Amino acid sequence: MVKKNFYLIFPGLFFLAACQTAEEGDSADEIDALLENSWTDIENEAASTEVNLYMWGGDEGINEYIDEWVSPALEEEAAIILNRIPMDTEEILQRLQTEKRAGRDDGSIDIIWLNGENFKNAKDNDLLAGSFTEELPNFQNYYDTESSAFQLDFGTAVDGMEAPWGQVQFVFHYDETQVDDPPENFQDLKDWIQENPGRFTYPNPSDFTGNAFVRHLLYENADEPSSVYNQPLDEEQIQGPAGQTFAYLEDIQPDLWREGSHYPNSLTELDRLYSNGEVWMTMGYNEARAESLVERGVFPESTRSFVMDPGSIGNTHFLSIPFNSPNMAGALVAINHMLSPEAQLEKMKPSPWGENTPISIDKLDDDMQQKFQEVDRGDTVLPTEKLEESFLPESDASYVKWLEDQWFNEIIQE
Amino acid sequence: MKLFRNKSLVLLLLPGAAFLLLPMYGLVTGAVESFTDSGRFTWNHYTELAGSDRFRASLVFSLRTALVSTLLAVVIGWWFTRTFASALTKLPVRVTVWIPMLFPHFVWAYIVILILAETGFAAYLLTGAGWVESPAFFSRFSNDQQGVGIILTYVWKGIPFVVLMLLPLYAAMKQELNDLVATLGGGRWQKFKMVEWPLILPTTLETFLILFAFTLTAYEVPALIGATYPEMISVLSYQWFYSSGWEERSLAFAAMFFISAVIILISLAGYSLLKRRNKFIKREGQLK
Repeated sequence: MVKKNFYLIFPGLFFLAACQTAEEGDSADEIDALLENSWTDIENEAASTEVNLYMWGGDEGINEYIDEWVSPALEEEAAIILNRIPMDTEEILQRLQTEKRAGRDDGSIDIIWLNGENFKNAKDNDLLAGSFTEELPNFQNYYDTESSAFQLDFGTAVDGMEAPWGQVQFVFHYDETQVDDPPENFQDLKDWIQENPGRFTYPNPSDFTGNAFVRHLLYENADEPSSVYNQPLDEEQIQGPAGQTFAYLEDIQPDLWREGSHYPNSLTELDRLYSNGEVWMTMGYNEARAESLVERGVFPESTRSFVMDPGSIGNTHFLSIPFNSPNMAGALVAINHMLSPEAQLEKMKPSPWGENTPISIDKLDDDMQQKFQEVDRGDTVLPTEKLEESFLPESDASYVKWLEDQWFNEIIQE
Repeated sequence: MKLFRNKSLVLLLLPGAAFLLLPMYGLVTGAVESFTDSGRFTWNHYTELAGSDRFRASLVFSLRTALVSTLLAVVIGWWFTRTFASALTKLPVRVTVWIPMLFPHFVWAYIVILILAETGFAAYLLTGAGWVESPAFFSRFSNDQQGVGIILTYVWKGIPFVVLMLLPLYAAMKQELNDLVATLGGGRWQKFKMVEWPLILPTTLETFLILFAFTLTAYEVPALIGATYPEMISVLSYQWFYSSGWEERSLAFAAMFFISAVIILISLAGYSLLKRRNKFIKREGQLK
C-alpha cells in the first residue's frame, strides 16, 4: 500500500504542472500611473529605498565601475542603495518568465541590462514594465531621442521601454609584433589567413561575437550593407550573399586554428588563445575592451585594433525595468542617474570600463563637452573619427538565429 | 491513507520528500512542456527530435563518451582499490587519492586544458625534450571531436569516487572465505569468482550507474572542453533552450526528458538484474 500511494505523487505533480496558468499582469498601468507624478515626486518616493540591478557580471571593469562609482554617487545624490546582482541576462529573463507564469507581481529585480534578442524576448513575452524614457529628464535633455539607434534595437521597436546606457562598436584586435599590416578588407584577411595557417579563428556563431563576425561578412557580400540592416530577414533574397558568405568561410576553414575542426565556444575561449599566442587576432564588441585586458596583463602590450571594409557593426545597449519590479520609482531615478553626463563621462574613462557613450556631446554645456573631448581612451582604441566613419547599424534580430543555424548546416555538418 | 497513519514515519520522510520535490517538479514540468504545444498534447517535438541529424549525432556521441569514461573510471578505480587496498587503509594515502574530488568538475577540465592543450605544460615539456615534433600533436586532447578531453576529465574525477565506494568493501572482506576456497582446492580465479565478485558487484554496478548518469547529462565540462561538433546532449539542449525567440525550448525539454527516461530505464534494468541475482543467491546459497 505504501508503495502505491507514493506513486500517486507522480500524476499529482503532472496535474500541478499542467495547471499553472499564464496570468496577464497589468504592469504597464503601474508605471504609467507612477509617471503621472512630477519627477520631484518620483525622486522623493525613491529616496531611502533599495534598487536591485541585475546584470551580466563577467567583466571586472564594468563591475568596478558600478560598485566604486555609480553606487556611491547614487547613494549620495538620491539616497538610493544600489545592489548589483551578477546574473546572465538569459537567466534573468528566464526567472522573470517563471515569475510571470506563477503570477508573481512582486518580484525582486528592479533594473535589467539588455539589448538585441534579449530585449525582443522580454518585450514579446511582456516581461517589461512599459514605456518610460519620455519622462527621464537626462534622456530628454542630453540624448538625441529621435536617433534610430535608440528607436530600434536590432530591428525591434524600443517604444520607450528601455533607456540607452552605452554604445559599442565591433573591432578586431591583433598583436603588432606578429602582424605587420592589419587587413583592410575580407579579401586581405583571407590572404593573411592563408599565409599564416592556424593563426586565426572566430567564435562559434552561437556566441554573440562569433555571430557578429559572420554578419560583417554578410554585409560585405550584400550589394550594400544597408540592404541587410534596413529590412527584416527575407530568406529568398538573402540566398546570394549568404551563399558567398559560407563559401568564404569554407575557403578559410582549412587554414583556421585546428584546421577549423573546432571553433571557440565563447569569446573568452578565443581571448585565451590570443593571450597564449596561439592565434594572433581576436575580436569583440566594445572598441576599447583591449585597454583593460592589456593593463591586467592578459593581452600583450603590443595589442592594437583595426576595422575592415565595409565597416564595423555597432549597437546600443539599454537599461530597462521588469514588469514586477517592487521599486519602480527607485529604478527610474537610478536609470536617470546612470544616463547623466557625469556617469557617462566616468564610464568612458579607460579605467575601469572605458566604454563609448550614446550621449549627444553637443547638447552638453561647454565645460562638460571639453571634459568628454579630453578623455584619452588609450593606444589600443581607434581614433573616434575612424570609428564613426566605419559605423554600421545592427541588422534585425532574426538574422542572428538564422545565421547560427545556417552556419551549423553549411560549415559544421558538411 | 495507510502511508500517513504512522506519524513519525511522515516526519522522517519529510526532509527527503522536500529534497526530491523540486527536481521532481522540474522533471514533470519539463515532461509536460515536451508533450504540449500551446496547451494541447502532441508528439511533434519528439518526431522532430528523431528527425534531427544534430540530435542523433549528439545522442550517439554522449552515450559513447559517457560509457567509455565510466568504464575506464570503474575498471581503473577497481584495479587500484584491490591492488592498494592495504595501503589505502592509512589515512594520508587515502586523502591523497581523494584530492581530485575536492575540485569542481570545471576546474578539473581547466587543469586538463592547462596540461594538455597545445600551449599546455605537457606540450612545452615534450616538444622541448624533442619527443614530440610539434605542439599540434596536442590538439587531440582538448576540444577534440572524439571527446578525449571530456573522457580524460571524467576518468580522472571518477577514479577517486570508485575508490571511495569500493574501499569499505575490500576493508570488510572476510579473509576466511578466501581461505575456505583455498582449502576446497580453489585457485585465484575461483577465489575471485566466489568471494570478491559477489561482494563488489552490487556496489560496482551502482557506482557505474551514478557515474554514467552524471556524465551523460553533464554540461559544464563538455561546454569547456568539448568540440563544436558533435556536442554532448546537454550542450545542445542548452543552446536550444536559450535560442532566440525561445522557439526551440520544447525541443530542449524533449531532449532532456528523453535522456532522463533513458537513465531511468538503464537504472531499472541494473537493479532488476541485481534483484534476480540476489534471489538466485538466496535459493542456491552463496557458495555452491
